[in-house]
Amino acid sequence: MMDELELLKQDWQKKEGHLPKLSYDQIYKMIWKKSSSMVKWIFYISIIEFVFWAAINIIFSDPESMQELKAMHIYNAMMVLNFVNYAIILYFIFKFYMNYRKISVTDSSRKLMKTILDVKRTVTQYVWFNLIIFTITMIISIYGVLIYGPEGKEITESAIQQGNETTFWFMVIVVSLVFTAVLLVLIWFFYKLLYGILLKRLKENYNELRKLEV
Amino acid sequence: MNKELEHRFVTELENNQNIVHKVCSLYTNDRDSHNDLFQEITIQLWKAYPKFRGDAKFSTWMYRVALNTAITLYRKSKKRVQTQDYDSVIFKIKTDEYDDTQEKQLKLMYNAIKQLGDIDKALVFLYLEDKDYAEISETLGISEVNARVKMNRVKNKLRTILNP
Repeated sequence: MMDELELLKQDWQKKEGHLPKLSYDQIYKMIWKKSSSMVKWIFYISIIEFVFWAAINIIFSDPESMQELKAMHIYNAMMVLNFVNYAIILYFIFKFYMNYRKISVTDSSRKLMKTILDVKRTVTQYVWFNLIIFTITMIISIYGVLIYGPEGKEITESAIQQGNETTFWFMVIVVSLVFTAVLLVLIWFFYKLLYGILLKRLKENYNELRKLEV
Repeated sequence: MNKELEHRFVTELENNQNIVHKVCSLYTNDRDSHNDLFQEITIQLWKAYPKFRGDAKFSTWMYRVALNTAITLYRKSKKRVQTQDYDSVIFKIKTDEYDDTQEKQLKLMYNAIKQLGDIDKALVFLYLEDKDYAEISETLGISEVNARVKMNRVKNKLRTILNP
């Protein structure tokens, strides 16, 4: 039987003559327009993230807070943390840049999708890394404030005087944990939403191509 | 030098613009989105053009960039959500050379293709363009065997839609 698909192919090729035709000038104007591709959006969002977390770091390392840290005996711990932090941030900037450069529209579809998803994965790792650093900083700070900080001393002393020291420390730990957990979930949700919307279709297509290779 | 590059690129694109129009008509449903996607593909082609070495044919290279843009880079906005109203360029044309049954069948077929996923659409497109499996597998990044398997599945899918 004459296949319907063959028929369709013939029809498809016959329709070429009916396609719109753009002039040289129309096309020339187009090459100077701005791209609105997804990669660009991912790139912008990532840059904003880098700047955001770097700003948080800088804000919290002014000389005054450094003095406070010294007073609370956690200066050294914080410095080590800072050093590790900056080293890893540099590594991320490098990796992010390399990933981004690898994106090439002339790759095969599957490879292109993979590179884009890699960029996204680097950004996600960067965000998680920041959250972990943030959490560790919080824990060290809470410890410093409670043990050495003037207000902290007062609070702990009054708690001890009232005779419920264990309950007090238990409460401190629970409150810190809950606070950190809520923060983490919120941020996780935010990223899920942000990249979820941006990458949903890409992910589906990529998985479809990957499934074939099994 | 740059001017020369621009001129060469625009001329080649002008001569091969049919390929881009066809991709646009498969992946969009109205004229605005068609133009939108055409614009984006043009930008991507132009951005990649300096790296185009000429070791492949310009048109072959275009297939890849155009499809990649449609499938991977292009963000569909809300108004591009699938609708039943197939307003795109290709589907509006009357196929007067055919009798009614055939025309109806073709229409059904085009409608069916429109409802396929992004990857399946790409396969059908490359099939309709008479590309061999080597080129299809290279464009999509899957093996030739897999391209064959997948193509057969898509063809069967379309046949079932036509002959329920």
